[in-house]
Amino acid sequence: MTTVTVVADGTVHAVSGAVRDDAVWLRSDAVPTVTGWSLKPEGLCRDDVCIPRAALGADAIAGSGADEAVELRALAGALQRAVAVEPAAALAVLADAPADLAGSIVEGRAPAFTLPDLDGAPVALADFAGRKKLLFAWSSW
Amino acid sequence: MLIDRDHAWAERYGVINVPTTIWVDEDDRIVRPPAIAPGDDKFIEFVGFSAEPHHAALRAWVRDGVAPMADAEIRARRSAPDARLQEARAERRLAMHLLRAGATDLGHAHLDRALALAPDDWTIQRGSLPVRGKDPFGQDFFDFYQRWEAAGRPGYEG
Repeated sequence: MTTVTVVADGTVHAVSGAVRDDAVWLRSDAVPTVTGWSLKPEGLCRDDVCIPRAALGADAIAGSGADEAVELRALAGALQRAVAVEPAAALAVLADAPADLAGSIVEGRAPAFTLPDLDGAPVALADFAGRKKLLFAWSSW
Repeated sequence: MLIDRDHAWAERYGVINVPTTIWVDEDDRIVRPPAIAPGDDKFIEFVGFSAEPHHAALRAWVRDGVAPMADAEIRARRSAPDARLQEARAERRLAMHLLRAGATDLGHAHLDRALALAPDDWTIQRGSLPVRGKDPFGQDFFDFYQRWEAAGRPGYEG
């Protein structure tokens, strides 16, 4: 095992994994850190929900015990998340889960966010709770 | 003023162009989904409509609580994120990480994938021009603009 880097939900995770056959693999104990889901004997689980291991594909899980690893594209596919992978840099990016995005956008709730201001201080939507908010996006190009 | 370096906010709110506004009420409900809303009429020739109706609606909402849209119109504008666009955003984000780390060739290869996956997304198309060594106000931008306009201004809602 080596260190692979996965960017997910705005965080850069350096976790235990491997690059094999032009694919990035995560050691199973790194899966919760990166995705919030855990790889258990019954499947890929979060809270009361489990996705059967078979949904990941026959070749997506290798090894056993402490050396068990899961291939990242298969993992992302099972979670319905887009992923971009660069094996040469042992680096990958997971997009936000569409289901989570849809939960906010389709239901009409403003998704929570925290972004830095020009001085680097974090500012959150929640800082303006109970007030009307106009979010205005532009670009310096 | 907040910085969305990785386009994480834009992704979460479904923003694909600027200037875009989103109105959020006291209960964190979106009462006006992402829409083009210029601050003034400086670029009205390109934007295609005046800023004043937006300003008037904004004043009415803030001062008098007048809802800018009917619930049915808000619902009609909502849509779950497109899987292809999500992939493009992941490729763009990966490209920017690689470019910042000095992996230029790998970074540009992933940026090219993002551009191919999201031909109508301004945040990816125009937003990538500077890192590709191109002028965001130059011929490459106007070529993109003409393609986008000829395609019927996809994704453009005022």
